[in-house]
Order: sequence, then structure tokens, then C-alpha cells
Amino acid sequence: MDMNEKKVEEKVENAQPVEETRPELPDTKEGRLVREIVEKAPYAEGSVRRERRVEFRVPAERIHEFLELASEKFEMLMQISTVDWLKEKEFELVYQLWSVSEGIHAFVRTRIPRDDAKLPTVMDIWPVAETYEREAHEFFGIIFEGNPRLGPFILEPREYEKHPLRKDFNTIGYVKVIYGEDFDRYDESKTNYVI
Amino acid sequence: MTNIEVPKELREEAKQHDMYLHPIDKDTYELFFGPQHMATENFSIILKMDGNRIERAIVNPGFLHRGFEKLAEQRPYFTNIALILRICVPESDVPENIYSMAVDEIVGWEVPERAQWIRTVVLEMARMSAWMFWIMGFGNEIGLYTAGQWAAAYRERFMRLFEELTGGRVYHIYTVPGGVRRDIPGDKWLRQLRDTVEYLKGKMKDFDEILFDNYIMFERTEGVGVMDRKFALKHAVTGPNLRATGVPYDVRKDDPYLYYPELEFEVPVLKEGDSLARVLVRRYEMEQDLYILEQLLDMGPPSGPYMVKDARLKALPRFKPPKGDAYAHVESTKGDFGVYVVSDGTHKPYRAHFRGPSQSHGVTVLEELLKGARLADVPVILKTLDNCPPDIDR
Repeated sequence: MDMNEKKVEEKVENAQPVEETRPELPDTKEGRLVREIVEKAPYAEGSVRRERRVEFRVPAERIHEFLELASEKFEMLMQISTVDWLKEKEFELVYQLWSVSEGIHAFVRTRIPRDDAKLPTVMDIWPVAETYEREAHEFFGIIFEGNPRLGPFILEPREYEKHPLRKDFNTIGYVKVIYGEDFDRYDESKTNYVI
Repeated sequence: MTNIEVPKELREEAKQHDMYLHPIDKDTYELFFGPQHMATENFSIILKMDGNRIERAIVNPGFLHRGFEKLAEQRPYFTNIALILRICVPESDVPENIYSMAVDEIVGWEVPERAQWIRTVVLEMARMSAWMFWIMGFGNEIGLYTAGQWAAAYRERFMRLFEELTGGRVYHIYTVPGGVRRDIPGDKWLRQLRDTVEYLKGKMKDFDEILFDNYIMFERTEGVGVMDRKFALKHAVTGPNLRATGVPYDVRKDDPYLYYPELEFEVPVLKEGDSLARVLVRRYEMEQDLYILEQLLDMGPPSGPYMVKDARLKALPRFKPPKGDAYAHVESTKGDFGVYVVSDGTHKPYRAHFRGPSQSHGVTVLEELLKGARLADVPVILKTLDNCPPDIDR
């Protein structure tokens, strides 16, 4: 009992100076990794979500700088997920990183305004970002400055610049324009038009 | 709708992608490879050829785009299962499973042991049947048709087992958030699965003789489409393609899920990084998968329910998870298959973004590997990368 109490006291004493500046991070490999990165990049907020999942929030102006730093630990960029938050008039970009050496997945989140959706490309750090950025450009209309291949990619040329994955895209309206009003897409009760 | 103005140069560049087959000069011409070519499967590559050599390749996906991610935002959580599994045709259980795992994490469900065991068996069976599908495609591309015919027949055994377990042959709609839809049919099914595993173990020798230890296969694949470790990591290549360059990354080991922490298996790694190494890594993995299935059958299904007990499951269309997001990924035969699900507290997902392994190795990597290759190497490179176009299009 005494030994345990002492250990707990020691831990609390050690943890206190860190707690003053940052939200508490557990003393695991995830916590150590987040602390190491956040010390180098004080503009970013880091937290541990669960075992093998960490999270960073970075302002959009410094995203390239942060990802360059993070790429030392996280070798692979798995995906760039875009979420359209219509009410807040913002796009959230989640850079999904995976560290092969540590076995940790990181969400790097940044938010940009919907009406001026511009970000620097990260092709120079991970060349695979070219594909992900082309996809995000086509479906959401985000412009990645420095990516030379933004243009029609998956969609048909007539659908380019319509950005169908935006929340305010009128899907039913588009279907009616393309396939006509008679296109039978009604549900069983013949009352609701469904997509 | 607010539209952003795209700069003029980008629009010009976009127009240039619209190319046609025409001779540029005497020896240089542009060639559409696919989608009519069998190796490309609903996918096409625009090749700029110099005689028989490829100068530049431009990947042209989009033939399979069905807007799954948009449709998934307009359907309830459980209805989506029947939709998103169509993203990966040869192993449809992978999208089902990752989506279910992500929703489980958002809700905070602990999936019962029995359901976890069944999900692991289903995933491994899907892997085996996808390997058979791959042998079929690869064997046919390099002219060894017998191996392909055999593999198609062996895949049928797994399809029958799937039919008995789930009711479907190709698309199973079986794994759902919280568990699985039905219990195992009975001990007879487990015996049949064991028989199939034993049968295939014996047949691996035949495959070695006719395909994996074959002079033609070696000649066609050795030194073709080489990539090194650094290139593979920078391009987020995963799965057997990454392991063929010497990186022992396997989601089942490095981010364990379901029953995998309790199983013993090896992660085969080769260093050459060429097409031959990619083929051989796949060959060793087939053996490991059969071994995993055997271990699972030796353990036997744990007793208990196959679905979590939750009052919310009584009205499935109105099922609402709490606000939150989660990323789940599993090891498919093509690589690391992941999904990012965002919930805003309503009964439909706010966003479900899939990360197919071919998104990374089917576009930029393919374009790089094709540079300088011969026209006859295109099917070999495509098949040894195991490119799956629906991953890119969705």
C-alpha cells in the first residue's frame, strides 16, 4: 500500500509541471509522441484519443509546416478526409497519418472557410497526396496551391465544378435535370421522391 | 450554391486530359489501355508510347463512380451496409467490417466474443476467396490459364460456405454494427469449412507447380515494376506491395482488431520490391491465412450472443449513435482498407469517407512504375499491384 501511494505521489509530482502548460497526456507511447511533437510545434493542440489513436488541431496557415514536422514520425499519409460543416460555414480537413515505426494513427485536423477554400499542397512531403487532393478538389472545390493536376478526375467533365459532396449540392435537382422528371425514383407508397 | 472560381490555367490543364489516340510523330503515339482490356477491370490508362516503350502514363479512373459516399449520407446507419460493401467487389466483407467497427467505436459497443470470432472467420474467408480471385486474374494475364480455372473452382467452395452462412454469394450484408446478423448455421458448416481449408492446403502444392514455381511466371515478373522501400512509404503503398519492399507492416499485427491478437501468424516480407516479390509475398500469405483459419476452427466459436444487447437496436431505421467520429481499418488482400465515419447525432452518418488501398497504389504509383515499361508489362504490373478500380472511384 505504502509503495503504491508513493508511486502515485511521485507520478503526480512529475506530471504537474506538464499540466500547467498542456492538457494532461498519459505516460504511454502515444502520450510521449504527442508531447514530443507539440513541444516542437507549440501552435498545435495535441491529445490522445485512445490506444494507437492521437489527434492534433492545427491552424490552416501552419498546416504545411506541421505536416512536414509530423512526417518524421508518421511515414504514411493514408487519406485526406474532408467534412463539410455547413452551419459553421467551414470545411474540416482531416489528414489521416499512420506511423509504421510506432504503430499509431493520427488525425490532423484543420478548418478553412467554405467560401475561400485554399490550402497549400503537401505533395512535396508525400507524393501520394496528389491523388487525395485531386479527389478533395473535385468533390468539394478546395484548391490546393501547388498541385499541378487539379481538374476532372473521377467525375464526368459535365459534373466538374459542381462539387457534389458539398452538403448544399441539390442531388434530387441534379438527377431530375439529367434524367428528366419522369425518371421513376419514387418509394413504395409513390409519395416520396428518393435518391 | 457557392462556386469557387477555378483558375484558367487549371481549366486548360483539365482540357488537356481529354486525349485521343493519334500519332504524334512517326514512332510516338497515344494509346488507350482499357477499360476493354481484361487486366484493367473498369479502369483505363492513357499511354504515351514510343514504339513498344511507355513514355508517360495517365491513369483515367471514374468508370465505376456510383457516389456511394454521397448516398451513404442519405441513408440510415444499418441500411448503408447493403450499399457500402459494393466498394470492394472481390472481398465485400472488408467495407462491411470497417464500417461496423467504426460505428461500434462511436457508440462505444463492446462486440460479443462470438460475434468477434465470426467476423474474424468471415474476414479470413473473404481473404482466401479474394486470393483465389487474384490468382484467376493474374494467371490469365500471364497466359497460365489452368491456374486461373482451378482458382475459380476453389473460390466456388468459399462462395457456397458464404451462401450457407449469410444467404449471399458475392455480397453478404452480414456484418452489422454491434455484431453479425445471423448465427453460425451449425457444426456441419464448421466441418465443411475445415474440409475446405484442408483441401486447399493440399492444393497449394499444385498451385506452386503450375504458377508460383513456373519458369514463365519468373520470366514475366522478375525485375518488372521495381519500387524501393522509401518510394513505397512516401506513396502510402500498403499490404503485400509494401511487404515486398521490406517493410513488415500488417494492420492485423500493428493495429490489432477482433480475434487477431490471440492468433499466431507470420508476416512474410521480401526485399526485392519487383513484381516477382509481390507475387511470392501473396503466395506466402495464402498459407498463413489457411493457418489462421485452422487456428480459429481449433479454438471453436465462443458461446454467447452474436449481437450486442441494446434497446436502440429494436428500431433500426431510427437508430442514433452519439456525436463523434472514428477511423477503423483492416488488412485486406490489397492493403490497408480504412474508413472515417463522422456522426452528428442524427440517424444518418454525416460523412463516411473510405480509403481504398488502390487509391494510393493505383494512381501515382502505377503511373511511376509504368514509365519505361514495355506494353506487355502493363497487365503484369497492374495485376501484381492488385489494383482494384472501385476503391478509387467509389
